[in-house]
Amino acid sequence: MRGGEYPAMPRLLIIIGTVCLLAVVVTWFSLGADRGWSKTLVPVAKVDPVTELEFTEYEKRFVPGLDFLIAGSAGSLFLVALGLFLGKFTRP
Amino acid sequence: MKHLLLTASAVALVLPAHAAPLTFDFKDPKGVNNVVFQLDAPLESINGTASGVSGTVTLDPEKPGEAKGKIVVATDSLVVPNPMMKDHMLGEKWLNAAKHPEISFAITGISDIKKEGDKGEAKVTGTFTLNGVSKDLTVDARVNYLPGKLAERSPDKTPGDLLVIRSKFEIKRSDFGIKPGEATDKVADDIAISLSIAGSAPKE
Repeated sequence: MRGGEYPAMPRLLIIIGTVCLLAVVVTWFSLGADRGWSKTLVPVAKVDPVTELEFTEYEKRFVPGLDFLIAGSAGSLFLVALGLFLGKFTRP
Repeated sequence: MKHLLLTASAVALVLPAHAAPLTFDFKDPKGVNNVVFQLDAPLESINGTASGVSGTVTLDPEKPGEAKGKIVVATDSLVVPNPMMKDHMLGEKWLNAAKHPEISFAITGISDIKKEGDKGEAKVTGTFTLNGVSKDLTVDARVNYLPGKLAERSPDKTPGDLLVIRSKFEIKRSDFGIKPGEATDKVADDIAISLSIAGSAPKE
């Protein structure tokens, strides 16, 4: 198969799927590679200077977990698979 | 005679500081008071906090064994970092925060008091209420009485005392009717609780 003969739409799906897969993996790694569930609040430990009590404050921040990695990868791979499937049956 | 009157006045000024029981309010506007809870199940570990602490404890620093009071935690102040997990936790099937808005511990007795200056340790017995179920519980507590320290914590420098209480204990969710025997691979039956709270007793 020569590259130029591959139909435009399936090729676009494969490219989008691959880019999404890379984006999902890079995002997951760069934001901490958390192996738990995704979080929208991040606990920050603090100490009250007078009572010396330790307490937790929450920062509103998204930390992607394994659910993000798995769902994102599955969606991306679906696009790639769909592109390959359509390419196989719509090639002239 | 003048000397005697001066001495009596001085004693009267100094003694009342420790003569009467003080009522400490645990509603903390600074949001420091907190409860940490941890569940470690084979498949999932859950860590969260609760900050909606209120209640009062009446304590005579000279007679700590006679302390009385109740600490209350608002059920809807429980937080876990995952939003879906939080919704499930507070929902009808688990803690049912709408029906049972408070988790509380009412002190009924104090024993085994070890006092060293303004610090102390004791076993505190009380009635622990969770999910609408009450059980008697005895927990270890560390107490630190900080006379005159309230001014350092309040923006308007209100004079008064602070009482800091720390306690760690474990409960079983099955004892309080929270889905007993269900989903124990993901939500442990044992719940480790760590209480860190400070109450204030302003002086007139």
